[in-house]
Amino acid sequence: MNHYKYEEIEVGHTESFTVTVTEEAQNRFCEITGDVNPLHCDLVYAKELGYNQCVVFGMLTASYLSALAGVYLPGERSLLHSVRTKFSKPVYAGDTLTVEGTVAEKNDTFNLLIVKAVIRNQDGVKVCKAELQVGVRP
Amino acid sequence: MTREQVFYRVQEIFRDVFDDDELMITGETNADDIEDWDSLEHITLIVAMEKEFHMKFDIREVNKLENVGEMIDLIEHRLREK
Repeated sequence: MNHYKYEEIEVGHTESFTVTVTEEAQNRFCEITGDVNPLHCDLVYAKELGYNQCVVFGMLTASYLSALAGVYLPGERSLLHSVRTKFSKPVYAGDTLTVEGTVAEKNDTFNLLIVKAVIRNQDGVKVCKAELQVGVRP
Repeated sequence: MTREQVFYRVQEIFRDVFDDDELMITGETNADDIEDWDSLEHITLIVAMEKEFHMKFDIREVNKLENVGEMIDLIEHRLREK
């Protein structure tokens, strides 16, 4: 885990990590949230719609943005205020995602970071993009 | 810039932040009058005002603001300092 202080972070600072989305994570997300939509849980249904596999929940993909802020940028001192996100392409179980965030803006009044984030799969395809507002605790 | 001009621009910021094109504010409007005006949206408002008026506020003076009128007082004070 990173321990950046607000003063140590500059606009343009970038952090990234990779994670593989497992079928277990998909099933656990379904169980935790109660979202049993068949696009995410029923292979036959997903294939009928033209997908090769069940589509990973967009919010599961977006959940890695929590780790981006809470573990990497800024890490320990993170206080996540908001996340605006778009799911550009489908993610499937087994995909390895690279989650990357770059500080686009700082607000010194509130020790606030505006982080632009992009999540790409193992083929370099952008599957999710987001803007995070992250406070940095003293 | 007159107080009316500042007020007009502040009202536009409020409408944008709270996504309500018909929102009408007054000098007495405070967080009790706008359901979505919580601590996070307060930060959004202040950040938007800093950008709109090209100024920086101090966190202590921002935390003391009780209503829109005091916000406009602060902006006017800063504009006079420029």
